[in-house]
Amino acid sequence: MGSLLRKFWVLRDFFTRYKRRYIVGVLFLVAVDALQLLVPRILGRMTDLFRSGRLNDTGLVRYVGYIIGIALLVAIGRYFWRMYIMGTARLLDYTLRNKFFSHLEALSTSFFNDHKTGDLMAHATNDISAVRHAFAQGVALSVDAAFLTIATVTIMASTIDLRLVTLGLIPLPFVALTVSRFSRLIHARFLKVQEAFASLTDRTQENLSGIRVVKAFVQEEAEVARFAAANQRVVSANMHLVKIWGLFWPLVQFIAGLSFVIVLGYGGRLVILEDMSLGDFVAYSGYLGMAIWPMMAVGWVVNMLQRGMASMDRLNVIFETEPEVVDAPDVAEVTELKGSLEFRNLTFSYPGKAEPVLKNVDLKIPAGRVLGILGRTGSGKTTLVNLLLRLYNPGPGEILVDGIDINKIPLAVLRRHIGYVPQDNFLFSTTVSGNIGFASDSFTPEEIEQAAGWAGVAGDIREFPQGFDTVVGERGVTLSGGQKQRVAIARALIKNPRILILDDCFSAVDTETEEKILGSLRHIMRERTTILISHRISTIREADDIVVLDEGRIVERGDHDSLVAASGIYADIYERQLLEQELAANGET
Amino acid sequence: MPDFHEEEVLGKAYDARLMRRLLKYTVPYWKWLLLCVVLLFIITGTDLVQPYLTKIAIDDHINALGAPMLVFEPGDEPVPGIVFGDRVFVRKEWLPKGFSPGTGPRAPLPAHIEHVDGRYVLVMELEGSVTRRELSSEDVRKFREHDVAAVVKLALLLLCAMTLGFVLNYVQVYILQYTGQKIISNMRLEIFRHLQALSLSFFDRNPVGRLVTRVTNDTDALNEMYTAVLVNLFKDVFLLVGIVIVMLKMNFELALVSFATIPVIAVVTVIFRVKARDAYRMVRTRLAKINATLAENISGMRVIHIFNREEKKAREFDEINKDYLKATMRELEVYAVFRPATDLISSLALALLVWYGGGRVLAGRVEFGVLYAFINYIQQFFRPINDLTEKYNIMQSAMASSERIFQLLDTKARETDVPEPARIGRPRGKIEFQNVWFAYNGEDWVLKDVSFTVEPGETCAFVGATGAGKTSIISLIGRMYEISRGRILLDGVDIRDIARHELRSHIGVVQQDVFLFTGDIASNIRLNNRDITDEKVLEAAKYVNADRFITELAGGYHAEVKERGVTLSSGQRQLLAFARALAFDPAILVLDEATANIDTETEALIQDALAKLVRGRTTLIVAHRLSTIQSADKIIVIHKGRVREVGTHQELLAKRGIYYQLYLLQYKEELRRAHTGEEAR
Repeated sequence: MGSLLRKFWVLRDFFTRYKRRYIVGVLFLVAVDALQLLVPRILGRMTDLFRSGRLNDTGLVRYVGYIIGIALLVAIGRYFWRMYIMGTARLLDYTLRNKFFSHLEALSTSFFNDHKTGDLMAHATNDISAVRHAFAQGVALSVDAAFLTIATVTIMASTIDLRLVTLGLIPLPFVALTVSRFSRLIHARFLKVQEAFASLTDRTQENLSGIRVVKAFVQEEAEVARFAAANQRVVSANMHLVKIWGLFWPLVQFIAGLSFVIVLGYGGRLVILEDMSLGDFVAYSGYLGMAIWPMMAVGWVVNMLQRGMASMDRLNVIFETEPEVVDAPDVAEVTELKGSLEFRNLTFSYPGKAEPVLKNVDLKIPAGRVLGILGRTGSGKTTLVNLLLRLYNPGPGEILVDGIDINKIPLAVLRRHIGYVPQDNFLFSTTVSGNIGFASDSFTPEEIEQAAGWAGVAGDIREFPQGFDTVVGERGVTLSGGQKQRVAIARALIKNPRILILDDCFSAVDTETEEKILGSLRHIMRERTTILISHRISTIREADDIVVLDEGRIVERGDHDSLVAASGIYADIYERQLLEQELAANGET
Repeated sequence: MPDFHEEEVLGKAYDARLMRRLLKYTVPYWKWLLLCVVLLFIITGTDLVQPYLTKIAIDDHINALGAPMLVFEPGDEPVPGIVFGDRVFVRKEWLPKGFSPGTGPRAPLPAHIEHVDGRYVLVMELEGSVTRRELSSEDVRKFREHDVAAVVKLALLLLCAMTLGFVLNYVQVYILQYTGQKIISNMRLEIFRHLQALSLSFFDRNPVGRLVTRVTNDTDALNEMYTAVLVNLFKDVFLLVGIVIVMLKMNFELALVSFATIPVIAVVTVIFRVKARDAYRMVRTRLAKINATLAENISGMRVIHIFNREEKKAREFDEINKDYLKATMRELEVYAVFRPATDLISSLALALLVWYGGGRVLAGRVEFGVLYAFINYIQQFFRPINDLTEKYNIMQSAMASSERIFQLLDTKARETDVPEPARIGRPRGKIEFQNVWFAYNGEDWVLKDVSFTVEPGETCAFVGATGAGKTSIISLIGRMYEISRGRILLDGVDIRDIARHELRSHIGVVQQDVFLFTGDIASNIRLNNRDITDEKVLEAAKYVNADRFITELAGGYHAEVKERGVTLSSGQRQLLAFARALAFDPAILVLDEATANIDTETEALIQDALAKLVRGRTTLIVAHRLSTIQSADKIIVIHKGRVREVGTHQELLAKRGIYYQLYLLQYKEELRRAHTGEEAR
């Protein structure tokens, strides 16, 4: 019980709040079952009255009235137990999903590098619904099965010939046994089917992904043969499953039917020999019919509960993951930042990796200055930004903002003061203005348009049929790469941040557009600390200071002119980019 | 990440055009399916037997004590009877049809047993006067022995019927599933075969994930239709018709009364179907929305964190989650209303039957057992009707799936050859492009008026900036795409006159991103070609310097290639691709050089292997490395889709044209790095 409590600890509020609904639902369910138990009794009583000729028309009408009355009550009761039990389980599903999402949000960004989106999605869909099933059908079937079994057996044993009851019930435990044993076997073989199916899917996926090689090496026929083999394995796995799955229902029916054979043979004999009334015979067959269902249910319930528990365990792994980046207990009481930055001998390696990505980085950026960072892919530029945004925790005292250790600044305060334009310019599938105004709900349409203007995208947006209300397709597919980048820039600018970070965000616009945007940003940059990251000289040449990162180290620093004169990496890249422009201009006709 | 918005549209549950086409797939198996139908027919019979046998037990045996009898002198009885006292009692119904008791002194006399105040009295009309004789329970038992035996016999008969039903049911399910699996696997194979024959431009337009779904999930939806709906529909019909017939035969009047609720249940079911479908659709779309939102937010979690928008996103998610909750509640309510409602209707049918039938029984016009059997049958009757909704859902998704499958099968983008292709044998390897124009779509020219000639055995390097059209040129040689204008000749024969398979079998291709298949190293070299022996594989690998790293792998040539070879370096993959190309011993080699970083040691191995590989073959290389270019017999500079310069390295440098610029841009650093001893880029 204690472990069960721990297992569902996440849902404790839910159960405190909604346990009454469950109780009400269970009461309705029990009431329905109890009412249903009356029906065989009534039919039995009628039979006996018929036989002894003591039933007249009014009696008949009264009994029929009972049947209708009970049927009505049962129908109403069924509606309520479904709504209460299943409905509460739906609420549980909803609560659990919300909690899951909120918990994901609370986790550190690094968590999402280690966990595939697909796996997390599987948790959110499969596992949550398995837990729901356990609390919906699982609960309902358990109650139903337990109550009906006890009730029918008690009633039968107390009212009907004990010899018949005992004999007739013999097959029933075998029904439960068969169901539970077969469910397990079926599940195991079903997994095999899924495996075969997954390998067929992989085979197809691989073939289609490698279709160029397949065609180039004329492997079509051979590939068809391989596919046919995988296909055949799916058929075989399915037939292996069918061998027992096909047996399942007929067998359960057969075993349950044995009870009726006993009723007919032995019960019939008892009635003939006057040891039992025909009414009891009729009632007994009715009860037997009712007792078979819970026997089958028991088999399912066990599996359903087991699966629900296993899913909850998987979810708990996530729920028990603690976020790494949190406000320290001794967090400084700052609410405003000016934006001076300092890196002090910063060395950083990602968790679980031995090789540092940044090595001894020493850098000071006074508030209001513009720093340009140039470096190849993998040189450590983005890591630098990740640390500045505190997506990871740098070592103590290695990064200072306004002279305060970044680890001591409240996370919300830090991030509120940073305007960041990411490299992948991720947009949400909402409207353009929703994306630009992402940082807060309180931006006016004018502010949004202004920010779009600074980013040089206002003109493009106005040309969309719905203007700023245009919905950006899933992950922003309806916008061009350049438009997405500029929307992402606007999204950062509108925050009016003290620190502005542009992470290689002009890669999808041509140099001309870039120049225009940079021009309009110049007055904005003047008022705040800006970090421009690029592998394009044109982006950073105007920066106050420029550093060149290579393999995690600062290898060159200075301004544009001094770096060009130094004829190092910077100068080299500069030269190449000039050539590239020249080449691109070549052949323009 | 699957696209959650896609394929959620459900349409009609029945479409005659699609259905006709789907049924065609069952034709090869019609004998098996017919057998299933026949078996189902018998099974339905065994299903109907139990209430009927119970009825016989009740009416003919349990309630038979009061049945009229004839009393025979011993030895006179035409059929065995009950010996009681010094006489033999035979129930009238046991007598053969047309039996006439006759007249005379030995003629049998009527008798019956009466039940009065808990006592049994044997009433006999002896010689004109009525004799009443009270029976002891011992006596009654004597009269009952026969009934007991009969009831036990009936029980055994029921057991036999059940056993038969059980066996046939299993056989039927097995055959049906087997047939369904066969039909579906044939269909899958057909789709897959069709896909293999489609042109590359089709694959450029259609994401792999979607095509995979056609082959796997969509066919699975059809499997359910074939097995759960198609044949079982017969079962439902048989059962319904069977029950109707049995009921009508047993008692016409009572049967009509029983059917009175059918219109009601039909109406309720139709309403339910519509409501349930709408509710289900809403649940599906909202679930899709939840999944899409969740996937998006997980991918964009970094942005959410950076912008401090956890709360806002949680609120948004809550909204969507709540919408979904509402939809599921709505669905729940539909089921919570309609499931009890159908049960209620079946209870009403029962009540009606009890009321009317009970009245008839009271009036002595219907036997009790008949009423009992009716009650049983009416309960069986409602089951298939309840199942209909589930079948409807299956049909709906089957129709949607088959529509998508047939759409794919009807795609006209198959690669075709001319009716009588030229036989070329092993070509010498002269390749000519004559005014070739090419576009992947429409008039978006990738190659414009490209002409050049590569002599047999020559190595020709293509250089140019990214997107200049180099890769397109080499994929055109194997007719991976069709050119729009101009001609491509191999040994003077237009490649459009050569069968694709033959043409491609003479061309060895090494792609930039080497694609590795699941399997081991050896199978990735020989692919599926059984003619390439282990020795040949080994030989090829050794020749291209791949042998060394392969033997260092755990398992050597049988080392498993995991996840498309991520554990191998790009240099190693390149060497594997060389070995693969060499093993097939092509007359023409087409090579897209890897741009990725390759360590110096492997780089040297690659260059050495390349030099061996091009020997004696016409080779076309999209070159990225200076050394490759320098050793080429001919360099063709492609710029913006046109051939701009042709010549050797020295000639082109001397020209100071595009090649010179490219050289400065792309290879100077390489040179510089080589000089300073740094790792080559």
